[in-house]
Amino acid sequence: MAEVKVKPEAPDPMDIESRIIELCQQFPHGITDQVIQNDMPHMEAQQRAVAINRLLSMGQLDLLRSSAGLLYRIKDSQNASKMKGSDNQEKLVYQIIEDAGNKGIWSRDIRYKSNLPLTEINKILKNLESKKLIKAVKSVAASKKKVYMLYNLQPDRSVTGGAWYSDQDFESEFVEVLNQQCFKFLQSKAEAARDSKQNPMIQRNSSFASSHEVWKYICELGISKVELSMEDIETILNTLIYDGKVEMTIIAAKEGTVGSVDGQMRLYRAVSPLIQPTGLVRTPCGLCPVFDDCHEGGEISPSNCIYMTEWLEF
Amino acid sequence: MTQAELRLCSLLLRENFGEIVEKVGNSLLRTGPRPLRLLVGDTGLLPDQVKKALCVLLQHGLARYEPQPRGAVEYEARGERVLRILRYPRYIYTAKTLYGDPGELLVEELLLHGHLPMSSAVARVADRLTETMEGKGKRRHSCDEEEEGEHKAKRQKQEGGSSEPPPDDGIYWQVNLERFHQHFRDQALVSAVASRMDQTSSEVVRTMLRMSEVTTASGASHTQPLSSNEIFRSLPAGYNISKAVLDQYLALLADDPLEFVGKSGDSGGGTYTVNLHKALVSLATATLESIVEERFGSRCARIFRLLLRKKHLEQKQVEDFAMIPAKEAKDMLYRMLSENLVALQEIPKTPDHAPSRTFYLYTVNVMAAARMLLHRCYKSVANLMERRHHEMRENKRLLEKSQRVEAILASMQATGAEAAQLHEVEEMITGPERQQLENLKRNVNKMDASENQVDETIFMLEAFIESTMKRP
Repeated sequence: MAEVKVKPEAPDPMDIESRIIELCQQFPHGITDQVIQNDMPHMEAQQRAVAINRLLSMGQLDLLRSSAGLLYRIKDSQNASKMKGSDNQEKLVYQIIEDAGNKGIWSRDIRYKSNLPLTEINKILKNLESKKLIKAVKSVAASKKKVYMLYNLQPDRSVTGGAWYSDQDFESEFVEVLNQQCFKFLQSKAEAARDSKQNPMIQRNSSFASSHEVWKYICELGISKVELSMEDIETILNTLIYDGKVEMTIIAAKEGTVGSVDGQMRLYRAVSPLIQPTGLVRTPCGLCPVFDDCHEGGEISPSNCIYMTEWLEF
Repeated sequence: MTQAELRLCSLLLRENFGEIVEKVGNSLLRTGPRPLRLLVGDTGLLPDQVKKALCVLLQHGLARYEPQPRGAVEYEARGERVLRILRYPRYIYTAKTLYGDPGELLVEELLLHGHLPMSSAVARVADRLTETMEGKGKRRHSCDEEEEGEHKAKRQKQEGGSSEPPPDDGIYWQVNLERFHQHFRDQALVSAVASRMDQTSSEVVRTMLRMSEVTTASGASHTQPLSSNEIFRSLPAGYNISKAVLDQYLALLADDPLEFVGKSGDSGGGTYTVNLHKALVSLATATLESIVEERFGSRCARIFRLLLRKKHLEQKQVEDFAMIPAKEAKDMLYRMLSENLVALQEIPKTPDHAPSRTFYLYTVNVMAAARMLLHRCYKSVANLMERRHHEMRENKRLLEKSQRVEAILASMQATGAEAAQLHEVEEMITGPERQQLENLKRNVNKMDASENQVDETIFMLEAFIESTMKRP
């Protein structure tokens, strides 16, 4: 019998591309070159490369690098349609911004990464903004700096400052109010414990409040428009410690108990100050703003000190 | 000695001993140990006067003498001892609370005379007590010592006293200032514990301190370990708390973040020591914090305490931890920096220390701040004393007039004048003048009281500095 020679037909370029796309959809995490080769062993490397390049330029595939080599991943079709109208430079800039995630990226960094001149970058950014693909967010740390991020992303706390900032303004009254409320809560707890007059160990333990309890109290109080987390409450309680009104201890707690983080719990207790205001500040000299200029026989001297005169009139 | 200390010393010497002693003391303090000849030359006084002044200083323990190998004797003034004169009222008051009237008078006599043999001290105290007794006349509050003292004095007078030397000739008694200082320190500790915890805990600490009064050296950083059983036995009679409750209090004290009391072992039901050095550090930092709070405001105090805890912080971190807006935090830090209460530590990133590439960390140097505030205290006390003298000088005429009127009144009363005449004499001081006198008295008292208050701060800071310097 004569052998039937099967002439290797040059596979249709369109077929290759659709086959590759099918493979990508099968493996949403991405496929390597190896996988494509295994699937279509008769295809030559060059044809494969051409097909992949075409898909990339059409914006249907994403090229990623992984530890095993190059990965090809199907691009989100919605996004793919958006970029149809833009050219390569814009796509590059968009990619860089997307990579920055929700921290955003500064325009100078975009310039470094893309190696494009400043004028081009500005034009592209304006374009993308008008297409509502990206947005600019003012950073709270340096008020002149603007970081760019994707339109639908929520800016990260480090950029907007979190719960204490509303529109780039530090809300000091809000912090003050929270401060006072937390302190009142701890104070009333300590007083209740003191009045209970049981043995001292129990008295002391009951005057403690864990950060979780304080958090629940503040949430129930409802004075905050913004949702506050336990860390936020802990920063407020820390400021009370720095005011010298509250002391903290850390105890080891079982993992399951409410409010424990990594097996520890923080307990806070209201305390009264260690000493009364000292003697020096009860005299005019202790608070005098021109103390260093004062000496006997000068313009400012103890004999003609106006602060002393006022003080003696009390 | 610093300028402020020198000024204060000369004011104190002038007020208590007069101008000549002040001149001599000043010269000695400024120039250090010198022999008599040079002292006479320096001060420009007569040798006789200088000798008498030196006698006074030596009698009160404010100066020392040291025979030199080449025959001359060098005299040296002790500055810190001169500053203690400020604290005399506090010593006397403490003696009164601890030992009653006889104790108060005894300490007062000893302080006024420097050092005395016991017989003469007791004699004087007895005299004074009988004087006040005769004045009141109602209660004869007889105490054995007084009667004995009285008898001794009478016997000496009858024997024509001065020729026979008193039985304890050569044995002189002096006030032990160190012991008083220990007592003040204990007092401060106990009141701090009372305000931070409760009354009973402070009583426990007071008992522990009382028990260690004689066993612990004055400069030690810990008391000797005391077992819980001993403490239980030594509690004052009024406190009938059970042993178990005492143990709980001790455990609470040992656990407290203040760390005033530490547990050093388990024998005898648990041994505990009082951590004196730590207590002084806490009290001194509390003093510093209160000064910052009163001078700059509570937000500055927050930043100050924050820096004390965290030691070194950047500008941004200060704002974040203290939750104070950036502008205000910056302003406060710069104000405190200009007063040298906080310091900047530079950490360069590059060898060329370029400001844009250096970390600047804020920090508080507690010892330096304490010394600076101590200096300020000295100057403040000197200012208050100056002002007091000024007020007295301004109203000298008025004071003299009132003294004359009182003398006239007293003599007229002694000779039995009529009420009308007495009234006439009293009228010599007019209404406004009386008012002025009242004001003067009130002001002088106020200034005196505040000098004592500043002295409390001085004591706290000095004790802290001393305790820190002693530790190796």
